[in-house]
Amino acid sequence: MNSAPALAQNEPSSPGRAGRGLNLSAFWTLYAFSLRQHRHGKRWIIMAALMLLPAGLALLVRNTAHNVPPVAMEFIFCFMLIPQALLPLVALIYASGIIQDEQEDQTITYLLIRPIPKWAIYTMKLLATLTVAVGLTVVFTSLTYAVIYWGADTHGQNILLRCLKASAIHATAVVAYCCLFGLMSLMAKRILIVGILYIAIFEGLFANLAFGIRLLTVIYYTRLIAYRTLPFIVSTPFGTQDFAAEAWQLDVRTDPKLLEHPQFATCVIVLSVGSLVLTILAAFLCSKREFYVKTAEKA
Amino acid sequence: MCSQPFGEISGPAEVTPIVALHEVSKWYGNVIGLNKLTIRIPAGVTGLLGPNGAGKSTLLQLATGQLYPSQGTVHVLGQSVWNNPSLNRRIGLCPEQDAFYEWMTGWDFVYTSARLAGLSRADARDATGRTVEDVGMTRHKGRAIRGYSKGMRQRIKMAQALVHGPQVLFLDEPMAGTDPVARRALMDIIQRLGSEGKSVVVSSHVLHEVQSLTPNIILLNRGRLLAEGQVRQIRDLIDKHPHHIVLVCDGSRKLASRLVGWEDVEGIRMLPGGKALMVETRSPDAFYGRLPQLSLEDGTEIKEVYSDDDNLEAVFKYLVNK
Repeated sequence: MNSAPALAQNEPSSPGRAGRGLNLSAFWTLYAFSLRQHRHGKRWIIMAALMLLPAGLALLVRNTAHNVPPVAMEFIFCFMLIPQALLPLVALIYASGIIQDEQEDQTITYLLIRPIPKWAIYTMKLLATLTVAVGLTVVFTSLTYAVIYWGADTHGQNILLRCLKASAIHATAVVAYCCLFGLMSLMAKRILIVGILYIAIFEGLFANLAFGIRLLTVIYYTRLIAYRTLPFIVSTPFGTQDFAAEAWQLDVRTDPKLLEHPQFATCVIVLSVGSLVLTILAAFLCSKREFYVKTAEKA
Repeated sequence: MCSQPFGEISGPAEVTPIVALHEVSKWYGNVIGLNKLTIRIPAGVTGLLGPNGAGKSTLLQLATGQLYPSQGTVHVLGQSVWNNPSLNRRIGLCPEQDAFYEWMTGWDFVYTSARLAGLSRADARDATGRTVEDVGMTRHKGRAIRGYSKGMRQRIKMAQALVHGPQVLFLDEPMAGTDPVARRALMDIIQRLGSEGKSVVVSSHVLHEVQSLTPNIILLNRGRLLAEGQVRQIRDLIDKHPHHIVLVCDGSRKLASRLVGWEDVEGIRMLPGGKALMVETRSPDAFYGRLPQLSLEDGTEIKEVYSDDDNLEAVFKYLVNK
């Protein structure tokens, strides 16, 4: 040890700074730090491998079944597999760890003893999670589009625009899923089990029933946005086929303009406002909660 | 002894306490962490002593606003601590658990802590440099924490608690698991903080560790206040109960015959194997003081001396049952 300058010189607690005002630079530090945590974790590698699945399958189909139209592949891989299965899983795995990872690693103490409100800890960590989840989603959606349409006959369609729209739809969905699972992770202990059950029952079963209960699912609004912005109609020898309407239980025969379903703007608002409300609820819950760290006493 | 067993206020009432707990209880389900604890910790260095499960960590977690009391109130520097993040600018905590962001370097960990505490980039850089130097980690600051020894980990943990210049510092078992050199270094840091006028609350389950840091101690057991006051007074009280000291030597029977004549020896028992004997005394300090002379006088080679009572459990049992 040495006789270095007195530690008291580090004083940050001048009256002005010791007030109750929010410290935005501390918030930014927490956000940037949380992004670095994601980068150093192994989770993003697993997620990236998972998100490579549609591109890999598309590559396989292109090389083995040459008569499958690209738009059919786009529908199956980009609008069935990704939003139905991969996005909820990615969101569940990321969002479930927002606070629980810190708790399990016993590092949450280092955040709780800083002059940052608990709601802000949650919000900043959620924002970092959303950044990573949206980033992965956009990159791998684009990759899947590239694999499907590279060198294919596009029939004059603007594939870049379709890809951008698909990326935006997926990003909106993954944000909603992350906000939902983030809240659930604060309420349920076995969040992975609860989350998978939710995905299977709500997003899997209920969303495919032509009843009002599907209004409670994220995937329903995601599908409607997709249907209203991207046509999935393919010409076959037997006539044109509307893949999406059939697969998503949208009754276009009696209601061709889907007037009985929410409009595009309503869907976007529901998902955006829903995400915001879920975040506010989770942040509020976080601010009221204690976070136990296992010590010798509690053990 | 200003011992007020079982939770009575016994601190100096006229002094504004740094930490004040009033009738605080904390339950973890059916398990009680603290039981109607009322305590006022004055400025300066205070030792928080108790065996595992006594409530030390719970008290520190309550005092740093991580836990909400099931009952009662907790104030630090005159402010309620629960959901009061601005108070965290003025307090620092070195937690008990050996948990880190292992991928970070020591410097990065302390710098990030400074930034999270609200320091600007320049201030955080300066403070980190100083604090890392203060805890003697400058040489190792660029290495990832996962490669640190236990002593280094404790020191860097201490640095994150100090970097923002807190007025009050809570150290939860800071010397746990460290080697003698690291232990000495950590003690130096704590003593220096005390001499700089910081208020430090150090928890430990080792009496002599705390004794060398401060004369002011608080004894907790099973979530209750057992005693508080000057360590000398508590030692006197402890010394009133018979100590068991084990002497290991080859000529143990001969040694026993010599010791029987000593006034402060109340009993002697040969231990199995015949190589050691246990002495019972109420004046351990006097006994220890006369031992070297004994060896010099008749050449008895005592290979090992240790006291079964050195662990706090024995002391607590005695204080609880007295």
